[in-house]
Amino acid sequence: MASYLLKRILWMVPLLLGISLISFFIMHLAPGDITTSEASFNPKASEESRQKLRALYNLDKPVIVQYGLWVKRLAKLDFGTSFASHQRPVFWQTTDKDGNVTLGMIQEALPITLLINVLSLLLIIGIALPLGVISALKQNQWPDRGITMFVFLGFAIPGFWLALMLMYWTGVQHSWLPISGLESMGHENLTWLAQIWDTLQHLVLPVFISAITGLAGISLFVRNGMLDVLHQDYITTARAKGLNENKIIYGHALRNALLPLITIFGLSIPGLIGGSVIAESIFAIPGMGKLFYDAVLMRDFPVIMGILTIGAILTMLGNLLADVSYAWADPRVRRGVM
Amino acid sequence: MLMPTQITRHIQLWLIVFGICLMSACSNGEDAAKKLNSNYDVPHPTSPGGTMIDAMTGEPSGLIAMIAGESAASAIAGNIFNSLLKYDKNLDLTGELAQSWEISADQRTITFHLKPNLKWADQRPLSSADVLFTWQKVTDDNTRTPYGSDFKLVSKAEAPDAQTFRVTYAVPYAPALDTWAGLHILPKHLLQDQDINNTAFARHPVGSHYYKLSDWKNGQYLKLSRNPYASQGQANIEHLLSRIIPDKAAQFLELSADNIDSMALNPIQYARIFPSRPDLSNNIGLYKELGNSYSYMGFNLKRKPFDDVRVRQAINYAIDKQEIIDGVLLGLGEPVASPYKPGTRWSNPKLKPYPYDPNKARTLLREAGFADTNGDGILEKDGKPFSFEILTNQNKEREMTAVLIQRRLKEVGIEVNIRVLEWASFLGRFIKPKQFDAVVLGWSLSLDPDQYGIWHSSQQAPGQFNFISYSNPQADKLLEAGRIELNPDKRMKIYHAFSTILLEDSPVIYLSAGYGLSAIHKRVKGISSPAPAAGIGHNTYEWFIPKAYYRNEMNDQ
Repeated sequence: MASYLLKRILWMVPLLLGISLISFFIMHLAPGDITTSEASFNPKASEESRQKLRALYNLDKPVIVQYGLWVKRLAKLDFGTSFASHQRPVFWQTTDKDGNVTLGMIQEALPITLLINVLSLLLIIGIALPLGVISALKQNQWPDRGITMFVFLGFAIPGFWLALMLMYWTGVQHSWLPISGLESMGHENLTWLAQIWDTLQHLVLPVFISAITGLAGISLFVRNGMLDVLHQDYITTARAKGLNENKIIYGHALRNALLPLITIFGLSIPGLIGGSVIAESIFAIPGMGKLFYDAVLMRDFPVIMGILTIGAILTMLGNLLADVSYAWADPRVRRGVM
Repeated sequence: MLMPTQITRHIQLWLIVFGICLMSACSNGEDAAKKLNSNYDVPHPTSPGGTMIDAMTGEPSGLIAMIAGESAASAIAGNIFNSLLKYDKNLDLTGELAQSWEISADQRTITFHLKPNLKWADQRPLSSADVLFTWQKVTDDNTRTPYGSDFKLVSKAEAPDAQTFRVTYAVPYAPALDTWAGLHILPKHLLQDQDINNTAFARHPVGSHYYKLSDWKNGQYLKLSRNPYASQGQANIEHLLSRIIPDKAAQFLELSADNIDSMALNPIQYARIFPSRPDLSNNIGLYKELGNSYSYMGFNLKRKPFDDVRVRQAINYAIDKQEIIDGVLLGLGEPVASPYKPGTRWSNPKLKPYPYDPNKARTLLREAGFADTNGDGILEKDGKPFSFEILTNQNKEREMTAVLIQRRLKEVGIEVNIRVLEWASFLGRFIKPKQFDAVVLGWSLSLDPDQYGIWHSSQQAPGQFNFISYSNPQADKLLEAGRIELNPDKRMKIYHAFSTILLEDSPVIYLSAGYGLSAIHKRVKGISSPAPAAGIGHNTYEWFIPKAYYRNEMNDQ
């Protein structure tokens, strides 16, 4: 097992280099760079100044040389500084000689996005599992049809529209929930318990919106997995030997039906760090989606590369984790690995 | 574990609860009524204090404006830093840090005299050494600013004493005063041994203006508090809080829920939503002012048939500008006849936009040799149909404008195709190599009349701004004369003559200048309405919030 893990982790290094090389070149295929944004199309900003800026950012060098410089910095775990945000560090905080700490951009955005996505994933699992099981048990009866309709409705409703409607209903018509942002004004004067309560209130709508769109996939997956398993021979055997129906469903069928979900959750780990641009813009949440979107629009290459690289690392770790969990959960796989 | 039937029962229960919630949402109107129905129109005496909360769509990248460059940065930094000069409410130059300035007889040297006893927010004295330092930084080749070129024209800058700053230009440079009104003066004592490109000062600025930065939560808000040592006296409002809300619809909800005091509106919110919501109009005042830019359709003058002035004029007559203003801006804009802000001294009041006159357009096109010989409704010349492509970038208002133009030009027999592009490829593949027929874009209505970079025939190289290749020796001569004439009255005559030629030549068609629209809660008093030329923001330091209207959460401050 240990040598298997080591082999998998070592393989990640060339894979990561390949991914970053392709990302770097694709990024540079798009026309323009930081000096050609719409805001800089201004007669007060002369062409010579733009050429000077390009030189200062090494943008005048061939792409392969720029990639070499980037890898050289990355080898020292330095993700560089943003072009567009007054050279804020892309990944982690830095301290200057006067002791001023500048927080990294990903360092700030990632925890917020992770929190929302983990909460919404938990909510999805909490709702989708029972919904899927009920659908399977009541296949083609009204609970099944109702649930399928409900989850597809959630999937089909445009998230931004539902978000705005809910913001209007819970925030403007009634003052039940805050409308946007992460904290109320005066948040820092509250006790820590009240601070948590305040933040939770701000998170209700964003988490709900991101959960409702993800409900359909997981609940249908559970439903179909359950249906497959319920028609297996061993379930028939269990029934034939007179096992309690609850034990059949929860002890045998559900556990087997959940196995493929491990893959899905493994693959959803990179999704956890990629926030949604639309939801983050509407709810005014400074998360990863908005960070990446703005970086692409501004052609802020170090930020784009930083997010892509960290995303690639997390995807590979997620795959590894999924494979290891499989081995842990399924004895058949375990024997093959060890 | 729950029994399946139990689960079903739970689900049923939740569905019922959900239904009840939905129904109560439909029937419940009392909450809306609880909102203060107070009358904000009673007069109040001016009083200091309070917090004003506004919303902006973007976050500043830093607060050193010469490096940050974007509008969000200038908006916040403009409350923290002073320049030597500023524009007053009629858009005339007046002193800010400078008490007075004089121009030498040869028009090459400008001497600024600073006001006495100026201080930085950290109580250190502000002197001409700081101004000199700022000039050195903006012209330094290692400073990552795109705005250095205007200041590199200064051949000698000196600070003979603590109150005096003198710059000498190699040749007289008339836009100089405008450039000094746009340069925020930075403190030498805090920045002299810092790298200005990545200094923490950009996020912890110390300035000399009305406010200082007291808190900045990335991605959430910036909070400014009054600077007790402000160089221009004390503002009334104690705190300015700018929340970052990227989505306009979400901003509008926050405004309706009384969580923010002001936001910039789009024409639909201003002209459609507000009139239908008397509950909002009771609490919120609407303001409009002429904006700082105009939209235009520009031709590639190197391509046929746009090199023919009759064709350009014909197209100008064929386009109904009022229709564009009504359709795209919902009437919230004005036609312009020169690239200068109407109502300012640079705008020539005698010039009138081309009226909508399709018959005149047809006549001019006939004179230019176009006729519909095959009866398909499209004009031809030398056997080739008159068909061209309008390029624009992804901007809803510009796309709609292009569609209206397409229809009007079809009526006079010109076929127009529209192509919408992402900005970087628009610029890189079409504008720089001049691979286009016509564009719909915008330019700013600059406060200084010098637009040498946009219209002078020498500014046509790739990456320069005369990408339409406009070239008229007479206009060139006036642009050169305007650049070296520092006397405002003589300068005005030069630019009035220049804009007359420009209108006649019609290298671009002025389409419209939109209004800047804002909503401000009526608890904020002291706002000039109607707005003077400089807009309602010219006297924000005089705005105040009467004590009775403070927000609850802010009482403790």
